[in-house]
Amino acid sequence: MDIATIIGIIAGFGLIFMAIVLGGSPLIFVNVPSMIIVIGGTMAGMLISFPLSDIIGVIGPVRNAFFHTDVDPAELIKKITEFATIARREGILALESHAGETDNEFLSKSIQLAIDGTSPELIKDILTTEVAFMEDRHALGQSILNTGGSLSPAFGMIGTLIGLVQMLATMDDPSTIGAGMAVALLTTLYGAILANIAFIPVAAKLKVRTASELLIKEIVIEGILSIQSGDNPRVVEQKLKAFIAPSLRETG
Amino acid sequence: MIHLTRLNGTPFVLNAEVIREIEATPDTIITLTTGEKIVVGESVDAVTSAVIDYKRTIMGGHRAP
Repeated sequence: MDIATIIGIIAGFGLIFMAIVLGGSPLIFVNVPSMIIVIGGTMAGMLISFPLSDIIGVIGPVRNAFFHTDVDPAELIKKITEFATIARREGILALESHAGETDNEFLSKSIQLAIDGTSPELIKDILTTEVAFMEDRHALGQSILNTGGSLSPAFGMIGTLIGLVQMLATMDDPSTIGAGMAVALLTTLYGAILANIAFIPVAAKLKVRTASELLIKEIVIEGILSIQSGDNPRVVEQKLKAFIAPSLRETG
Repeated sequence: MIHLTRLNGTPFVLNAEVIREIEATPDTIITLTTGEKIVVGESVDAVTSAVIDYKRTIMGGHRAP
């Protein structure tokens, strides 16, 4: 579970709710028609912008924001250095029995390619293509969420305009202006909350996750190519440690 | 031109003129003048004698026994 995401969302909604309650009755902030405009409108907008399969597909990466298990780069480097030592001592084919020792699928796949005697250029090609398309898929997820983040305040604005129009139509009774105006502004509030606590932050988190996954995969690619060119395990370790910040280079 | 076998068992022919280095790591890794590395199943000695044989053959000399 990603604690930061959970704490952030609870704190966000919690603090807003607290601010509302401290200022008076929370009931004046509840308006079902407004919620329908904002939530329904945003969903409609998103369905128009993206194919249905992509929208359903975004659920996977979103779950990632909540349930991510971090891969420690330093641990990975240590594992790859171990593999390098084995390859250096007993030959690359000896890695076949050790390929199962890592639960990093990308690493297992890369080792399998190396054992199969695939040429280094081809391995690099295959792996970098896979990484490039992973980046693209993640970028799609982020763009869906960002679209949601720009649509919800916009629909909030539409709701506000609807409310204002209705209010102006009954202008002859001044006592209703206050209440009508309050309701009109609620939609903008819902839209802004939805965008700024849900869509935009989750999109940003996904971006960070993508970047760290990218780093892991690049470490793996560099490691496998280095092993395959027969580099000394110390050299392999040094090459890979260059990828991460100095403070992270020692494992526990 | 020498006949070699890749790690996966596929035989192939390598242009002996582009060999820059051959190392035993323990897999034999041939580094070419282009910087590419190829891993082969033959030992370092086997590769070097193959190159010498090839050169003798094309120079028209008699093969070493």
